[in-house]
Amino acid sequence: MLQGVLSRAPAADKAVVKPKRAPAAEEAEEEEGDGRARGKRQQLHGGGSSAAAAAEGEGPETRGLRLLSLLLRCAEAVAMDQLTEARELLPEIAELASPFGSCPERVAAYFGDALCARVLSSYLGAYSPLALRPLAAAQSRRISGAFQAYNALSPLVKFSHFTANQAILQALDGGEDRLHVIDLDIMQGLQWPGLFHILASRARRPRSLRITGLGASLDVLEATGRRLADFAASLGLPFEFHPVEGKIGHVPDAAALLGPRHHHHHRRDGEATVVHWMHHSLYDVTGSDAGTVRLLSSLRPKLITIVEQDLGHSSDFLGRFVEALHYYSALFDALGDGAGAAEEESAERHAVERQLLGAEIRNIVAVGGPKRTGEVRVERWGDELRRAGFRPVSLAGSPAAQARLLLGMYPWKGYTLVEEDACLKLGWKDLSLLTASAWEPTDDIDVAAATPRHESKET
Amino acid sequence: MDTLFRLVSLQASEQQQQQSASYNSRSTTSSGSRSSSHQTNASYNYYYHSTSSGGGGGGGGGQYYYGQHHQQPYYLEPYQEECGNAHHLYMDEDFSSSSSSRQHFHSHGGGPVQPPTSSAATPTAPTPPLSTSSTAAGAAHALFEAADLSFPHDLNLDFSSPASSSGGGGGGAASSAAVGGGGGGRWASQLLLECARAVASRDSQRVQQLMWMLNELASPYGDVEQKLASYFLQGLFARLTASGPRTLRTLAAASDRNTSFDSTRRTTLRFQELSPWSSFGHVAANGAILESFLEAAAASPEPQRFHILDLSNTFCTQWPTLLEALATRSADDTPHLSITTVVSAAPAAPTAAVQRVMREIGQRMEKFARLMGVPFSFRAVHHAGDLAELDLDALDLRDGGAATALAVNCVNSLRGVVPGGARRRDAFAASLRRLDPRVVTVVEEEADLVASDADASDDGGGDTEAAFLKVFAEGLRFFSAYMDSLEESFPKTSNERLALERGAGRAIVDLVSCPASESMERRETAASWARRMRSAGFSPVAFSEDVADDVRSLLRRYREGWSMREASLDDSAAGAGVFLAWKEQPLVWASAWRP
Repeated sequence: MLQGVLSRAPAADKAVVKPKRAPAAEEAEEEEGDGRARGKRQQLHGGGSSAAAAAEGEGPETRGLRLLSLLLRCAEAVAMDQLTEARELLPEIAELASPFGSCPERVAAYFGDALCARVLSSYLGAYSPLALRPLAAAQSRRISGAFQAYNALSPLVKFSHFTANQAILQALDGGEDRLHVIDLDIMQGLQWPGLFHILASRARRPRSLRITGLGASLDVLEATGRRLADFAASLGLPFEFHPVEGKIGHVPDAAALLGPRHHHHHRRDGEATVVHWMHHSLYDVTGSDAGTVRLLSSLRPKLITIVEQDLGHSSDFLGRFVEALHYYSALFDALGDGAGAAEEESAERHAVERQLLGAEIRNIVAVGGPKRTGEVRVERWGDELRRAGFRPVSLAGSPAAQARLLLGMYPWKGYTLVEEDACLKLGWKDLSLLTASAWEPTDDIDVAAATPRHESKET
Repeated sequence: MDTLFRLVSLQASEQQQQQSASYNSRSTTSSGSRSSSHQTNASYNYYYHSTSSGGGGGGGGGQYYYGQHHQQPYYLEPYQEECGNAHHLYMDEDFSSSSSSRQHFHSHGGGPVQPPTSSAATPTAPTPPLSTSSTAAGAAHALFEAADLSFPHDLNLDFSSPASSSGGGGGGAASSAAVGGGGGGRWASQLLLECARAVASRDSQRVQQLMWMLNELASPYGDVEQKLASYFLQGLFARLTASGPRTLRTLAAASDRNTSFDSTRRTTLRFQELSPWSSFGHVAANGAILESFLEAAAASPEPQRFHILDLSNTFCTQWPTLLEALATRSADDTPHLSITTVVSAAPAAPTAAVQRVMREIGQRMEKFARLMGVPFSFRAVHHAGDLAELDLDALDLRDGGAATALAVNCVNSLRGVVPGGARRRDAFAASLRRLDPRVVTVVEEEADLVASDADASDDGGGDTEAAFLKVFAEGLRFFSAYMDSLEESFPKTSNERLALERGAGRAIVDLVSCPASESMERRETAASWARRMRSAGFSPVAFSEDVADDVRSLLRRYREGWSMREASLDDSAAGAGVFLAWKEQPLVWASAWRP
């Protein structure tokens, strides 16, 4: 198991992984080690949030290895339902890890916490996320706030926004001057001011522009709507906002999203409907993946833009765990590079890591994660959309150019952009993090027959 | 931003919550891995419900629900039945494997509690929301024992009482006092207290429900409420699985393995730099010790030798300032000072790290004394077990003969005497009296964590449910204040604060899940310590104005919120000592005593 993991480790981890093939032996040595040497090593990378990145000594590497080995042992125990064994390992992980430490320490802090929560939830036999109304609004605000900070710390959010916006603009070249965007998970609507800006600066300004935003809290949605309306007004764009409190997979039919005025007429009106969805593992967005596919195929929007995390959820718990460990190691590594060591900046990074990445890790590690519903999930949306009567739209043109421009704008080295099939993949070193894709309906209107099928049957 | 988790207006969602709670468990009797998809429904339906009743933009609510479930809208509205849909049957190794683990769920001390979802668990439960027999779903839900999962009604009351501040509807009498006025959002304390009550009354369903909520909300890296939830939940979990001592050993061993001199020093110094929590006691105790030494020297024609018996696990951080003061305030020859520091630990706790640390500290102390020109000798005595088992006579404290003035320094050490029958703590105070010291300084954290006066009685300190509840609530109060002071004193990203919080977490596990008769965390109030000291034959020494001034000027170096309080004469501490208060709450007590 461990061998497999080591050989699959992403570049970000290689420095940690290379020196020894037998972490168990290393661990034993470390424990024999004398106090002062250990103290010195701790001094090298403890305390400061960026100290470890600079430390060349063996300390951080050894600690990273020990943490990796402990996490895997603990995950194996969980997978085998040996919860007592798992519990025995958790305190050691917690002591070695820190959300304020080096990249491996930070990653391990959140994976350790997630394992701890999972073990307890297994004892309790209670696996659902908490769904309380006051929490929904609070959580939305909390996540929104963290997303703004994330947007400043990393190009991932902007990559999603820019790429999708460019794809939408491309799609509008068909001549429609009315645009309806359905954002399946709008949050604060950070993405749309950028689109408004471009629309307002075009020679042919849209005659109508509306956004239907879905989300868990009507309060948050309405606040988002007001902000977007203000912004649109400042640009002189006509704008309507429709909040939909709920999940896309439970919306009964396309009419509920299109609104009565537009139903059956939207194409004749020259209105282009675009669906946008930026994936994450913070909470379940669709409610029902099957329902979502059904709805999308009946809606038949002119364009669907999707940004997916390159994080498979199809395997069993251990596979999911290992893959997520690689994925988030790269993500934390990337953030560590981007954020400075200054107190304020590291506090900001901590907030992003805890509220976004840590929360995602908890969901992924949880029973039934990351949606935590136990429902059958769509594993690869591209395959599903093909079956539902859509085909990919190439993002090789201006979306790719925009993305390249974006990565050039940021001072950080290490991010990569790959065009693969029609998609764009943003990576950190050699691990792909996000895949952006766009989809349009195929010409044959044989959609009714396109029954959704499902790739994966478990978590 | 982090206080956003407020459960203050939960009454709006009573039924929904109840509903969602209901789908949260799976039957242990599930054969294989097939089950149904209610968890999905539990989490989303609530929103649809509110959309439909609020007339929001999502479309009419009614159409979301399948017709046959409307016969009981009160229960069923928030529940969207999608059974019969093949897509919603899942095959989840996670779920099936985890369900088998619940047999580990035991009550503390007593017989096993009903497993949370055992079918016999709720004879008195309200009508289960899922009477599946009348629905098309019946077959699909056969594995799902809805009757087991209904949520205790009165929990809603517990949540709605704080909501009265937000002007809620059907709440009920506001009975819980857990909501502090200004801040609000003390959800962790509330949930934890409710959970402790449920544990004490062996209401396993309610325990399951509350622990689930706490587990979802807790984080050791979040805000104060999330941290409290995390550490106390760990304690409750250990208690319920009857694994308190084992959990504590694992925690202590992990901490010990990863403790070095440097990390200890960094944490201790940073704590002193940012919070007066520990330095308050040091300054007060040093002041009292120095004054009694100088008094002894002045009264004696012969050159004096001083000896401090330091019973505190404070890594000698207290002594450099005393050495300095001794060097500057002695007229001619600086008298000889010996320090015997006793490092005690629970018998089972590994001490390798502490020994490493103390070796290093001893060398540093000697170096410092040379620098100060204080004739000095230092000795560290490692003692496994609690202080009551320490043979004080064997310590050879009169190395300088009868002229040696002895001070005994007890900073956070008296609580290390395990409370129990046979008046162990009183006996220990009496044994200190027999040493005939010039002064005994006692610094303790102000919390009433001895279950009852039964410390003196025969029941071994009391591990009854009532005792558990009392200690839990008081521990929660005390550690809330402690964590709050840490949160406000340290920067947001501090490994030193994390280390202190983990230390508190171990104390919490001890208090919540370990028998009192093995616990070295049972703090007592100033009043009870004062009573013990008096009955052992000591009388209080008032701190001089100089010492009080030193303390006041110390506090000025820290952020606002800290203050010094004289122990008032009307309480039973009878004027002994001074308190350090954080936001008006006395948390540390310092006092000095002489025979």
